[in-house]
Amino acid sequence: MQISTKEVISLIGLTSVIFLIAPMFLILYVLSYNRRKKQHRDDTILMQKNFETELLKTQMEVQEQTLKTVAYDLHDNIGQLLSLTTITLSSVDVTDTKNTAEKLALVEDLTMRSIKEVKALSRLLHGEEIVSRGLASAINFELEWLRRSDKFEVVFNYDHDLSQLDNAKETILFRLFQEIINNIIQHARATAIHINLNQVNGACILEITDNGTGFNVEEALSRKSGMGLHNMVKRSAMINGTASIRSTPGKGSTITIQIPNL
Amino acid sequence: MAYLSINTFTECICFLAAFVFLRKDKSPAWKIFIPFLLLTCATELGGIYMRHHLRVNNYPIYNIYLLFECGFTSFFFFYLYRPYHYPVKWLITWYTAFLALYLGELIHINFSGFVSVTASVMSVVFVLASLYYYYLKLKDERFEPLLYSASFWWVSGALFFYFGSTACNNFLDYLAKYESITYNNSIRYIIFNVLDIIMYTFWSYAFICRYRQRK
Repeated sequence: MQISTKEVISLIGLTSVIFLIAPMFLILYVLSYNRRKKQHRDDTILMQKNFETELLKTQMEVQEQTLKTVAYDLHDNIGQLLSLTTITLSSVDVTDTKNTAEKLALVEDLTMRSIKEVKALSRLLHGEEIVSRGLASAINFELEWLRRSDKFEVVFNYDHDLSQLDNAKETILFRLFQEIINNIIQHARATAIHINLNQVNGACILEITDNGTGFNVEEALSRKSGMGLHNMVKRSAMINGTASIRSTPGKGSTITIQIPNL
Repeated sequence: MAYLSINTFTECICFLAAFVFLRKDKSPAWKIFIPFLLLTCATELGGIYMRHHLRVNNYPIYNIYLLFECGFTSFFFFYLYRPYHYPVKWLITWYTAFLALYLGELIHINFSGFVSVTASVMSVVFVLASLYYYYLKLKDERFEPLLYSASFWWVSGALFFYFGSTACNNFLDYLAKYESITYNNSIRYIIFNVLDIIMYTFWSYAFICRYRQRK
């Protein structure tokens, strides 16, 4: 079969048209891929911004919590000590030498205790420093105040050779711990709190158990407020972690936060 | 009127665009477009002059032009690859291979025709160079607004031209044989007109993008 010149020329023309269409699709593909790249870049920037905002919020909450503790301590502890000092001083009768000596000794003791309390408060006021000393140390420091209330039996176990997380992750994890403890104080009516901070396969695991009233997890999560549980889950996810909440009404609760790749 | 064709018109417009938008460009690579496009226009007009007035074959002028075309286009691709640390040895290797092929073909045809095989090989290499540029852009994690990227549109224009002309280049001898009499209505004439319009439009737009980038 012989192909005519006209047919060959038509074939060349057709091939050229196809050869023109191919680069067009290629250019469209490159442009569309580039648009997706832009979308990805915008999403990354947005995620970074959200993380920074959330971190700032967390830092402010840690400070707020510190100020609350200071306010309670000033009112319940130092305030009482100073009132007692004033009352003791006003009851001093300079003619009664024996009692005066005793009362002055009491005033001295009260003043010393007040100084000690003020020193402790001063340490607490440096909220950011608490976290920078390491998570275990910060948790210990926070629990010190809880132990002094004598309302709870507090047990804290932790790995002494725990690797340090980066600052942002530690701040968020510490704030999660504060939120959980606040929830226990406010809602759980517990008498014992057990805290474990361990490192397993490179992951940091913070587990807080109480023997309080417990609650229905699904119901709590379905409520909009959800006792800050949604916030816990969201913030854990923000640092690539998970928050697991287990609770049985009447039998207490356990909250486990796991942060991988320590 | 023979001097005013679609080819010469688009080339002259593109030269004017280069002159207006690249005149004050700080990059020598972009600035060289002005003399290169001037040379392109001169070659085209010289080709017409030889064919219509001197009544001689105009392939020698296009053979010489091919050297400049390859030299400049290859250098410009190399300039575009530079941010990606492309080694200069590949450019030198390509120049050497091209010259060897060019001289070999010239000797083979006794200096009496157009070096069509060399031109075809050059087109294929430029198509690959354009594809490699796209690959680098796709691989690059940094985002660049390609719609306003001068280099992207220059490469796209080059890809359209060199890829689109592949079929014609491969059958150049065949077409020259059967269409020499009626060149002005031939398929080769139509295809090259379309390719010229696309490439020079893309290049003119690239020069505008470059101008805006500089501003």
